[in-house]
Amino acid sequence: MTVSPPPALALEKISKRFGDVVANRAISWSLPAGRIYALLGENGAGKSTLMSILSGRYQPDEGTIRLNGRPVRFQSPAQALEQGVGMVYQRFMLVEPLTVTENILLRRGPVSRARSREARAIRKLAGRYGLAVDPEATVRDLSMGERQRVEILKLLHRQADILIFDEPTAVLTQTEIESLFAIFQRLKTEGKTVIFITHKLEEVMAVADDIAVMRRGRMVSQLAADKVRSQHDLARLMVGREVILNVDKPPMSIGAPVLTVRGLTGPGGTARPSFRNISFDVRQGEVFTLTGVAGNGQEDLVAALAGITSLAKGSVTFKSRRYSAAGWRNRPAAGMAYIPEDRDRVGSIAAFSLVENFLLTRLAEGKRSPLLNWPQVADETANAMKRFTIRGSGMQGLAGHLSGGNLQKLILAREFSRKPDLLIAEQPTQGLDVQATEDVWQALLRQRQTSAILLVTGDLKEALSLSDRIAVMFRGEILDIVSARDTADIDRIKLLMAGLGAR
Amino acid sequence: MIEDLAFIGQIAVKSSIAVLLATLGEIITERSGVLNLGVEGMMLAGALCGMAAGVITGNPFAAAAAGALAGGLLALVHAFFAVTLKVNQVLSGLALTILGMGLTSFLGRPLIGVRPGVRLRSIPIPGLSDIPLIGDIFFEQSLLAYLAYLLVPLCWYLLYRTGAGLKIRAAGEDAAAVDAAGIDVFRIRYLCTFIGGIGAGLAGAYLSLSYTPGWKESMTGGQGWVAIAMVIFATWNPLRAVIGAFLFGFLTALQFYFQAVGMELIPAYILKMLPYVLTILVMVVVHAGPGRRFGGPAALGIPFSREG
Amino acid sequence: MAWRIEKRTLSGARAPWWVFPAALLFAVFVGALIFVGLGVNPLAAYAAMLKGSVGSFFHFSEVVVRAIPLMLTGLAVALAATMLLWNIGCEGQLVWGGICAAGTGLFLAPHLPPVLVIPVTIVAGAAGGALWALIPGLLKAFLNVNEILTSLLLNYIAIIFMEHLYFGPWRNPEGFGFPGTAQINDLARIPHFFGTRIHFGLVLALVLAALIYGGLRYSRWGYRVRAIGLNPRAARYAGFSIRRQIVGVMLLSGALAGIAGMAEVSGIHFRLQQGLAVGYGYDGIIVAWLARLNPLAVPLTALLLGALIVGGEQLQSLLHLPASISMVLEAVLLFGLLLSETLARYRLVRRPDAPDRSAAEKETAP
Repeated sequence: MTVSPPPALALEKISKRFGDVVANRAISWSLPAGRIYALLGENGAGKSTLMSILSGRYQPDEGTIRLNGRPVRFQSPAQALEQGVGMVYQRFMLVEPLTVTENILLRRGPVSRARSREARAIRKLAGRYGLAVDPEATVRDLSMGERQRVEILKLLHRQADILIFDEPTAVLTQTEIESLFAIFQRLKTEGKTVIFITHKLEEVMAVADDIAVMRRGRMVSQLAADKVRSQHDLARLMVGREVILNVDKPPMSIGAPVLTVRGLTGPGGTARPSFRNISFDVRQGEVFTLTGVAGNGQEDLVAALAGITSLAKGSVTFKSRRYSAAGWRNRPAAGMAYIPEDRDRVGSIAAFSLVENFLLTRLAEGKRSPLLNWPQVADETANAMKRFTIRGSGMQGLAGHLSGGNLQKLILAREFSRKPDLLIAEQPTQGLDVQATEDVWQALLRQRQTSAILLVTGDLKEALSLSDRIAVMFRGEILDIVSARDTADIDRIKLLMAGLGAR
Repeated sequence: MIEDLAFIGQIAVKSSIAVLLATLGEIITERSGVLNLGVEGMMLAGALCGMAAGVITGNPFAAAAAGALAGGLLALVHAFFAVTLKVNQVLSGLALTILGMGLTSFLGRPLIGVRPGVRLRSIPIPGLSDIPLIGDIFFEQSLLAYLAYLLVPLCWYLLYRTGAGLKIRAAGEDAAAVDAAGIDVFRIRYLCTFIGGIGAGLAGAYLSLSYTPGWKESMTGGQGWVAIAMVIFATWNPLRAVIGAFLFGFLTALQFYFQAVGMELIPAYILKMLPYVLTILVMVVVHAGPGRRFGGPAALGIPFSREG
Repeated sequence: MAWRIEKRTLSGARAPWWVFPAALLFAVFVGALIFVGLGVNPLAAYAAMLKGSVGSFFHFSEVVVRAIPLMLTGLAVALAATMLLWNIGCEGQLVWGGICAAGTGLFLAPHLPPVLVIPVTIVAGAAGGALWALIPGLLKAFLNVNEILTSLLLNYIAIIFMEHLYFGPWRNPEGFGFPGTAQINDLARIPHFFGTRIHFGLVLALVLAALIYGGLRYSRWGYRVRAIGLNPRAARYAGFSIRRQIVGVMLLSGALAGIAGMAEVSGIHFRLQQGLAVGYGYDGIIVAWLARLNPLAVPLTALLLGALIVGGEQLQSLLHLPASISMVLEAVLLFGLLLSETLARYRLVRRPDAPDRSAAEKETAP
């Protein structure tokens, strides 16, 4: 009779709340060593919170963590690391002005300054795990993939046995993603346990041994990867009901181009500009989507189109007026509305009331009186709240107290009320639950009557549901523009997002 | 002519020591990410306590140590508010200065006009002080001045060549990264703020034990603020702090010189203004030009907290 | 059910009502400790301070006199701070306001039509302060140079220049060796009220407080200022020109401090002399913060600080305690405010022991 050894890691009934929000609810999970685990779930499911608890960043309100059967309590990430649990965050914790070696050496306790000896040790470590990076390079000069490798080296240098990765592929190119998965396999061969958080189903299928699915703070399913029949099943576990891939989209007649851009190139200086030679047009009544994996230039392109940053080259024709690259930033404000990705920190002011927020981008309009007509703004806000079913604690309540969905609807209502000829919507349903997402989609589709819509999203589902045409960006260029109706094109989109299949 | 130069040079160095000591301390504080505007108050506290300890004990080392400690203790108050309570560091530092000015003003009344128990006179260093001109200027100074000379390379070595210095610099650039590495950011900032207080306290003690000597209300005359400005002038580098402090001292010495010889090549008020004007100019250059890279520690003045 | 201490989730929102009173309580308590330490009965000490500040009409009028420049510098700091700008240079701007007012009163007044003398003096004082604040404003707006240090350094430059003026070129030849200028022209004296030293500066301060409050709340400009102060990124998104706002607010802030200086020269000293730069600029920071940056509360907290200063002087004459105790009390009050603000960042809530709400929901009530 053999007694099986306790699992390398076991979570028992872990719970955590922040204020009124319950992020983790009685989570239990048992992880034997030497496997690659994928922790899957939508935005807001609680995955990052759970892993932050595991890595010592937060303390659980309830529950126990056991390492090899022994209950442990981590008061800090450092303590967790001492016990062998380390995490690579989405936002890298590297000190930019220092070198790779200095960053790896930065740790509690005495730090040796014998640089050459340490550098050699680090090179050996890097070689063993296939992590190519120059120990003497300054972190500021490294690419995202290289920085991630430094983070991994930091953990390995401290002899971590359990390595956690939070959305590791969010900032990587396709090649770098493949390298990362190879590194995972290497780690597994050396007996390490890998946990990675993701919401991308393809990655799960590509590299995971075991899958755990979270939804709304709970652990809903744990299964071996080879038992999964299709991505659709996983998607259902993540979302909880049949994923609606088609929304009711009434037909709309498409008119003349409202926005035409030719040859847009971003500022780059000596580095490569983040977007190059961008050309497309957006027509009246149409939803034109820019899509691609995050970090391929869409964010910078949108910022430049919205006038927040500058353009280096190219021309923009808006409402039949042509602007040079330099002149676009000084264009008149009327006619174009922009809904930014960060609704809490950019699109609204949390400490302002709903009424005050409703005025934010509309200050320039109306009579040129220096005084504000608050009663009128209040009326408009009340109407908007009714029309878009925005639920809050009243107009004078603070915007920071609104839920994500209601805040987004408020911002939409505000931008729509400007009657823009062009509406730029950036990741409009990110972090929203299914009902709010549907509400936002309906609102956007209704707005087609007034505005041409430039949608920027990484969510393929969203792109396919709303768009008429889709442009796929990869490494700063538009690889192709395809029609959303043609099913053959739809398959091509996935390839294009990976950089393949350009005509 | 040479005597005049020696005279000016000697006074220049004498007048620069207080600023130098305070600047060195504040550099370390700011490098760890804490902005301490209470330097003036801590300097006054150091001056008063140093003087008082000198009167009581008659021992120069005890006096200097008392002054340093006074500054350090006040600095710990600021550290508590800035690092633990994470309040606005500008307000906390200002409150500290006002507290220092008020406390020293009324606690120091009995000491006004009292003969100092300790006078740190100029002590020539045998051999070095015989070098023409340089010897007179640099090597006929008080003990605290020589201490300041030693502290400059020491601070530089600490920041750039030790593991502790690495942690300090990292804490000032990216506290989250340092915390993630398991290093206690709060401990580093507390320690560095304390060291800054020690520097300011020593500077004040220098003023009351060696420079003036004696106790007078508001005897620091704004040198604490100059030190804060000199930190930027020095781009947070201990070696360059010497230049800034010496510049300040030189301009002060010129004022004395012109008074002494009775002529005014440059009007006194312009001389008085110059340190401040030059500091502003340096700030502009450091921020605007290619000196963009020389900007201060990225986390300066921003409290660190881990959520949850 | 269990009690827990939790961090409030929204920063920048209105702080709870008890913050200021708690700070006051703290200061009174620590002050009492200090008095005990000095061997004085704290009740007697506070009584002396109260008597000295509000005990008689004359004493109270002195409190008001002291409070007038504090109201103005407090407004200056509060306005700038609403946009996250630190105007530590009020002292220097006040000095320049005084210099310009004195200059007008000494040299321009004889050449102006009598009815214009005072208006011109006020404008000159405001302009002097505004232009001095323009320097750190421009440096901050266009070069992102830290305004705390630039405005602070400029204080010293201003004071040195002022001393040069009244020790040197503007010195009163019949001054009997006393440093200071001659008296300003009679026409340049601003009016006084109630037979006391309370001068027209009070009217200016109160009117300006109301105007600034109204402006911040009801004007487009005020909206922009508040928006930038709460969220510069969102303000940039909304298309506000942050540079223009920085320069504008610094000009206005400096003008307020300049008026304070003008009022001191034209209402109290009637000449440019020592005693102008006594810390009103720095005290303005405290006044502004005590008022939680609310322009309507500034006159009140200015009165409080004025009472503290005048009361402190009473301590000196009645109980032979040094007047600098009021400085210490000031600092303690400020620390008390910082402490209670910190406490206000947390709240005591009752929580059920087991979590029972879904993670995707979020409380919409505050």
